[in-house]
Amino acid sequence: MATSLSNMFFKGLANRSLTRPLNGLFYCTRYSTSVSNDSDTHDDFKPANKLEGSDISLANVIEQDVKDNPVMVYMKGVPDLPQCGFSSLAVRVLKHYDVPISARNILEDAELKNAVKAFSNWPTFPQIFIKGEFIGGSDIILNMHQTGELKEKLKDVTSKK
Amino acid sequence: MGVTKEQVESSLKAKLNPSHLEVVDTSGGCGASFVVEIVSEQFEGKRLLERHRMVNAALEEEMKEIHALSIKKTVTPEQWKQQQEANQSNAAA
Repeated sequence: MATSLSNMFFKGLANRSLTRPLNGLFYCTRYSTSVSNDSDTHDDFKPANKLEGSDISLANVIEQDVKDNPVMVYMKGVPDLPQCGFSSLAVRVLKHYDVPISARNILEDAELKNAVKAFSNWPTFPQIFIKGEFIGGSDIILNMHQTGELKEKLKDVTSKK
Repeated sequence: MGVTKEQVESSLKAKLNPSHLEVVDTSGGCGASFVVEIVSEQFEGKRLLERHRMVNAALEEEMKEIHALSIKKTVTPEQWKQQQEANQSNAAA
């Protein structure tokens, strides 16, 4: 009885030590917006939703996005399930290259959508940024793919492997 | 409610003075989706991104109603001529 109890105890501990770092990782991703009701935590440590609030902070988010991600796409849907033919085309073109593709779904956030349009001064989606530079929409990325310009532009972007 | 092909054409003509212009309404009549091809002197010395920006700017009003604008070609008369010749020689070959 005692052993089984202590086993359970240690099992519990082992599980905790395993899950904790993982939880931490999940909560660090930019997409996280909520935290479990853990009595160990405090509101101060809750992840803040960076996408809420004024246009200024949204512009900062975009600035950070395009700085941190060599290939950043603002699109309708997500890369594995685009919800618009043009967004789909842009992702298909980019997938020809062995580069990590970061993306945000502007259909989920009207404020972000407007902020991106203002940021790049471009009216439509998808919008593609490479190494912090605004590249354009699907017509441009397709054209650059065809002319070889895109290959040149992406050659120093590290592959995902 | 949407924009007509004629509206798109007249705005582009007024602002970009194209030597060749092709606007296709791909919306099936509701005026929300267009494909355009433009040949204009004004594209001379401009990068593709800037050329597209010029088209977007020329259609600023219309873009409020247009859902999808595909800019297939923004070339200079010189480039247009070369492309036409290349196409012809391809067709001949």
